[in-house]
Amino acid sequence: MPTTTAGAPLSIQSTTAPAQLELVNVWKRFGDPAAPTIAVREVDLRIPKGEFVTLVGPSGCGKSTLFNMIAGLIAPDNDGSILLDNVPQPDGKLLGKVSFMPQRDLLFPWRTVLDNAIIALEVEGVPRREARKRAEAMFPEFGLKGFEYHYPQQLSGGMRQRVALMRTFLFERDLLLLDEPFGALDALTRAKMQSWLLDIWARRKRTVLFITHDIDEAIFLGDRVLVMTSRPGTIKCEEIIDLPRPRDPALVTSAQFTTIKRRLLDVIEEESMKSFASEGL
Amino acid sequence: MSALSDRAQKALLAGLRSGAVAAGPSWQRRLLTGFLRSPLASMIALALLWEFATIAFAVPRRALPPPSAVFADAWTVRADLLASFGRTLLETLLGFVAGSLLGCLSGITFAYVRTLERSVFPLFVISQSMPVVAFGALVVIWFGNTLLAKVVMALFLSFLPVTVNTLRGLKGVDPQRIGLMRSFGARGFTLFAKLAWPWALPQVMVGLKVAISLSLIGSIVGEWFGETVGLGVMLLQAMYTEDMTRLWTVIVACGLMGSALYGLISLIERRLVWWRSAS
Repeated sequence: MPTTTAGAPLSIQSTTAPAQLELVNVWKRFGDPAAPTIAVREVDLRIPKGEFVTLVGPSGCGKSTLFNMIAGLIAPDNDGSILLDNVPQPDGKLLGKVSFMPQRDLLFPWRTVLDNAIIALEVEGVPRREARKRAEAMFPEFGLKGFEYHYPQQLSGGMRQRVALMRTFLFERDLLLLDEPFGALDALTRAKMQSWLLDIWARRKRTVLFITHDIDEAIFLGDRVLVMTSRPGTIKCEEIIDLPRPRDPALVTSAQFTTIKRRLLDVIEEESMKSFASEGL
Repeated sequence: MSALSDRAQKALLAGLRSGAVAAGPSWQRRLLTGFLRSPLASMIALALLWEFATIAFAVPRRALPPPSAVFADAWTVRADLLASFGRTLLETLLGFVAGSLLGCLSGITFAYVRTLERSVFPLFVISQSMPVVAFGALVVIWFGNTLLAKVVMALFLSFLPVTVNTLRGLKGVDPQRIGLMRSFGARGFTLFAKLAWPWALPQVMVGLKVAISLSLIGSIVGEWFGETVGLGVMLLQAMYTEDMTRLWTVIVACGLMGSALYGLISLIERRLVWWRSAS
């Protein structure tokens, strides 16, 4: 189990609520089995239903590899396992069970915004007309009303990201995996999108695992922040964020927020010093 | 088209008379500049230049006939020319459709069956190093002087660019988008129909644009091996009788058909495959 640096007792939610997702001793090694490159090492993780967990870590720490494993795109090594709703998910079984949103919006240029949003439903076999009806109802909530028949190329980065999010939400699975969804946005748009995401999450109550390299974002959004370190990537510690919800953007300047941030920065600093030292830099 | 150029010419004349084109109303000016920048305008300019050059330098007709003579010649043989044009167009289109189908199907097959890509695809490439004339002899013996023989020739010349571009397009599908679709549970044909094929289409269109021109060449060369109607036949006859004006008539007709067909494919591309798939 990761150590709790906060020293705070684990929240009631994370101990008693049934687990949505559980990772037990997950490893991922690449290359030569005798001297493998370890991308992800010994990750143990339990995410209860309805929790918003954020994962921070430097680039190249194996976050995306971890995500791809949870999405079912690559299989973890045999010595560990991933459980969804307490059921182990061997090779490839996770495909189609998790709402996965990669870093880039990955919209299809030949589809309108509306048809991009329903692509997952189409794959599931929902008739197009029915899928469009369901999606259309979500457009106001995602701030995309009136853009149904535009093409992705005609939208701004923030709007494209919202389309990608809507696509992810329309693929109704209990677990949402968001990989730096706001990474490419400017600070103002990003702040807006964060509040908006929390708003949607509060109403739709899904379990969220959210990757970011922005500590502010991780604290602002999460019930719990996990810190991942590089080489080899593993979850170093976790921090329960007991800031009240709903959270106001002004929260990031509060004393409570900065204390948490300071503590997390210290851990990350220490880790990066270590990894620099081990590289002989 | 002609109404537009008429109007543009009137606007041009009016502009020249008044001494200042820019003084005219803006819509006339826009029409004029639009026309002056169009390929039609440069074609007319080239024809005029050609006409005057042959007169000014007294170029003998045997070397280069003026466009007026070419058009006059075209008018005298209009019935033959029209029949030949239709025949060659039919051969070209049939060969193009068959070649494109073969190209797409083989490209798709090679993209998904690695073994075949390794073993059969090189044969496709080698087949193109065979001189088309040698292949033509073979086709004539197999199919005789039939429409099918020309279609096969056009197919033979046009399929490979489609194969190559289809294969390249399908191999270039963004792996992250494949991952995304798989995470939604997409497999097999769904993955192909909803992602890979539309992703590859702009590249396929590149192949089709090459194929349509090659198909025209194929059908003309095919006609050289024995036919009674067709632009290729007229070309051959003009060559044997050393009828320079007729030769140019046929060249212009071939050029018109080639550019019209290319234009048609481009139009279809702009209407239906307007996106760029670069990731």
